[in-house]
Amino acid sequence: MAKELENKTRRVLAPVADICEAGGKVILRLEMPGVSKDNLEVKIENDELIIEGKREVPETKGKYLLQERRNADFVRRYTLDDTIDREKVEAVMKNGVLHLTLHMKETSKPKKIEVKTK
Amino acid sequence: MDLIKWRPSEVFDPMTELDRMREEFDRFFGLEPMISGLFDRVKSPAIDVVEQDDAFVVTCDLPGVDMKDLEVNIANNVLTIKGEKKDSREVKDSKVYRQESWFGSFQRTLSLPDIVDPDKIEAVMKDGVLKITLPKKEEVKPKQIAVKVS
Repeated sequence: MAKELENKTRRVLAPVADICEAGGKVILRLEMPGVSKDNLEVKIENDELIIEGKREVPETKGKYLLQERRNADFVRRYTLDDTIDREKVEAVMKNGVLHLTLHMKETSKPKKIEVKTK
Repeated sequence: MDLIKWRPSEVFDPMTELDRMREEFDRFFGLEPMISGLFDRVKSPAIDVVEQDDAFVVTCDLPGVDMKDLEVNIANNVLTIKGEKKDSREVKDSKVYRQESWFGSFQRTLSLPDIVDPDKIEAVMKDGVLKITLPKKEEVKPKQIAVKVS
């Protein structure tokens, strides 16, 4: 667990994630409802991509008649390999969904070799 | 001769076996699926309902749902949250490594008590969370009555 969260008692939850690759980019989409831009932290430590989103506590005061939403912060970690460019990471937060774009290094993109016919 | 149920696949799939086992357990204990409405989906957004002194607050997780795809209405004291979660993959023809999210139409309905004032309902969408405040009617709000000691 992240150091910042060790001394906290609040539970953590892995956000729902979609990951796809297209055109030399790896696109991550993480659902973090209730996390604002200011409560979000995305960082790369060594070879790890760390995504942390904190939700407000307590969200609503009162008597809970129904509680399906889980009261937890979001944490997810990914290990990056050498093909990912650490300097080019784009993050956009919209409607409670974090869109992360990781670029692959130019050198590790597959090179297409044209085959000529004589 | 005994009749044994034919299994189409000889391959042992632990996940199918687990699903089958859970179904059998559920049947044995008479457990119904949690959601069984005609238009409800198995995957539907999570909801909190909180009662406060002067209002009910309904909170619903709707990450990635646009305001324009969302419909909240009330009729005969039944609150309906209806909408569509669009397919989120931005780039088509991409190599998908992992897809945990769901998309499609969803609907949640809640029966409200008579004490809710349908004209004063407010709905706010922020950071993918929908918050609906349903104030109680004036006459049912708890009133503080000062008791004088003579």
